[in-house]
Amino acid sequence: MTSKETLAKPVDEATAFLKKVCKKVPRVAVVLGSGVSVLEALEECSTYPFHEVFGVSPSVEGHSGSLTVGRLPCAGSDELVAVFRGRFHLYEGHDWSVVTLPAQVVANWGIPYYLLTNAAGGLNRTFSVGDLMVLTGYRDHLGPELRQTGLLPALSAPPTNVCNRLSDLLLATGKKLEAERSDFHPLRQGVYAALLGPNYETMAEIEMLRRLKADAVGMSTVPELRTVKGTQTMAAAVSVITNVWREDQPMGGHEEVLEASKKASARLDLLFRTVIGQL
Amino acid sequence: MNIKQARKIDFTGQLPGFQHFPRFNDEVTRFLRLGGSEKTVVVVDRAVGPKLAAPSLVVDHLNLTGCCPLVGPNDPCGPRFPVVNGIYVAECESLETALPQLGKIVAAGLKDGVEPDADEVQLLKFLGADAFCYNTVPTMIVAAHAGYKVLALLLPQAAKATKELVEALS
Repeated sequence: MTSKETLAKPVDEATAFLKKVCKKVPRVAVVLGSGVSVLEALEECSTYPFHEVFGVSPSVEGHSGSLTVGRLPCAGSDELVAVFRGRFHLYEGHDWSVVTLPAQVVANWGIPYYLLTNAAGGLNRTFSVGDLMVLTGYRDHLGPELRQTGLLPALSAPPTNVCNRLSDLLLATGKKLEAERSDFHPLRQGVYAALLGPNYETMAEIEMLRRLKADAVGMSTVPELRTVKGTQTMAAAVSVITNVWREDQPMGGHEEVLEASKKASARLDLLFRTVIGQL
Repeated sequence: MNIKQARKIDFTGQLPGFQHFPRFNDEVTRFLRLGGSEKTVVVVDRAVGPKLAAPSLVVDHLNLTGCCPLVGPNDPCGPRFPVVNGIYVAECESLETALPQLGKIVAAGLKDGVEPDADEVQLLKFLGADAFCYNTVPTMIVAAHAGYKVLALLLPQAAKATKELVEALS
């Protein structure tokens, strides 16, 4: 156990802190990935740095690490929304227990709906920068068990299906918004491959993931999805496609990811506000 | 590429003038990060694969180790999220002259000690790998993060370093 992990609060302690400072259990928790900015200006809100809630903080630019709890007008006057800005990543050196701590707290607190976002590289050649992809499945290439075996077992396994009522609602709402508004691009759907990072993929790895039928690739989200599976919390996830890997174009870096995420955030904000209003 | 000036890492224990390591470990990372202004490195390793009948240059890789040597606080020698494409040196005149059979392959880096079964070898082939090895891929990731170009040469398991190879790499 590293020094960071010894500072992390136990799930019950972090949950107790939130129960103390919040009047009621939020209806929805939302996690914002790199550069994703949605659900700003919550009403009657309070913000808590991650280190205050969890005892530890993320260390990556673009992942500020705070939790805001407040009211979203569309969610009903009494409903609270919890917005996690940033998350913990395995590539930072955190243990699985810390990376999944916010998800464990969301489930332990009894939040019924959990919307996850991430910035992802597009593998599907029909995707464009700025597309929003609702996850229908994931490939787990970062689970801690793979440190002992390498990735061969993960490569042999099929993707894990994550379709549920919440992901269906995201897709249905996307179709409705697309019909109503010219500025709302069609939602994509597909399989997200989670890699450990922190380096970006090689072209050979991108081709490998394409052969495995993955549509997007990133370094997060799967730990949260795995954590709340089997709990009372229903999770769905949306990837913001920040680049599309093509052989004839140079690969960008983290700055490009942040910029593309910002541009797609307006459509994601509309999607989430509309979906949350129906929950 | 000027091989004479490059830093040199050998995982086969056969090459004079190289820094020898039995396997990839933190010492390899330190060796690369303590390098001076020279930003090319030659890495020689063993590999296995149906297409690996002769020494081959790595042109790309799959990291299938389940680990990454960059996990943890970022070392200031490179960016937090390094782009590791275009790092391999795939043309080397002296090697091509010395080794007419020199191949060019995509290497899969496996967890040290993992021996893929026949089905897994087929899977690796389907996924684009021509051969698998244990040390080159993590070494390359550390090197790429530190700003190196990498000439990675993989030798078949039973191959011995010939006089021509040793001279070409000197």
